[in-house]
Amino acid sequence: MKSVPVKVEHEGRWVPTTMGIGEDRIRIAAPLDCEITYKSVVDLEEKKNQVTITAGTDKDLVYRIASVEKVLSVLKKFIITQASAYRLNAFFMSPAIRGGVLIQDARWEKGAIAVMKTGIWFVGQETQVCIPLADVAGIELTSREIQEKNLDVVKIDHLIENEVVTSFVLCPMTTLQVLYNFLKEATQDSDVSEELDPLTGQVAMLVYSGMDSSAIENMLKLSHKDLETVYDRLLGTGLAEVLYIRKEVQLTAKGVRYISNAMKSSSN
Amino acid sequence: MGRILIVDDTMFMRTLLKNILFSGGHDIVGEAADGAEAVARYQELRPDLVTMDIVMPKVNGIEALKAIKAADPAAKVIMCTAVGQEQMVKLAVKSGARGYIVKPFQAPKVLEEVKNVLNA
Repeated sequence: MKSVPVKVEHEGRWVPTTMGIGEDRIRIAAPLDCEITYKSVVDLEEKKNQVTITAGTDKDLVYRIASVEKVLSVLKKFIITQASAYRLNAFFMSPAIRGGVLIQDARWEKGAIAVMKTGIWFVGQETQVCIPLADVAGIELTSREIQEKNLDVVKIDHLIENEVVTSFVLCPMTTLQVLYNFLKEATQDSDVSEELDPLTGQVAMLVYSGMDSSAIENMLKLSHKDLETVYDRLLGTGLAEVLYIRKEVQLTAKGVRYISNAMKSSSN
Repeated sequence: MGRILIVDDTMFMRTLLKNILFSGGHDIVGEAADGAEAVARYQELRPDLVTMDIVMPKVNGIEALKAIKAADPAAKVIMCTAVGQEQMVKLAVKSGARGYIVKPFQAPKVLEEVKNVLNA
């Protein structure tokens, strides 16, 4: 078992220790002093140089481990290929579209997909991609032309740091249908049941494209108040959230005096 | 920064693209609402780049792309497709498109793609 330096979260603090990575388990030294078999892992989450492992034997135990990318990459690969999860062999392409722009050198990669409690993991020879279920913006069973043939694929739209990314999964139809149904069910809370009026739809589209309030007001010839009303509709339906509140101000007498004085001195 | 011709049959999408490209410092030299108008405007304006919608009345984007490339083989055209029309991309590649945007799109990525094509 190869031992590497890591930091683990212990009693709310990050503590340096060592972790042995074996073929079927990891061993974390003091203060955790524990062993985690990969097959006991029920969830794996990733955040920058940190992974959160949830292992469940009798009850779920959560371990947070921070290390360099190379170590985490080896660890993630072992976990994803052995964890207690719905797993399938598939081809995937991620990302295929980023922010609406087709990635021209995107290619299909052969690997495994593990569907865990809070996310889907793609693991190939070169790539490890995690799509948290909370970040899935759309799932569609569709077809795509691959090597001159129209093949069924699952298309997943998801957010990566506020960027909309599209990934594709390709595998036999029966497995694809299982994956699609699972994802549909796991993300059904995000399904949109509301019908938007045309103006609210246009505003939503502009927000998606990255336009700010003043650009939207100019483009759609809306007053600040009208736009606020539309924003309220989007907020009310859960389709948007407040990013920040813009202030509108007017000058006080002191401010007016300052500007007047400034104009006098600049004209002298 | 480039001189750009925007081709789309909906005014909403033209305005959106115009705003995005303008915010990136580009000069919008013209707009067209269908493929035939796009070809005419291209001949007249000779822009550095064209953003071309695919599905349009009269002459569609692919046909307009072919006509523009026939007149100017060095023309730089970025195609705009709606979600689900990615299959059209292959046809656009064969016809000489340099880049592809899928609607709906996000401003930073559109500007990045435009920059890449302009600098290519």
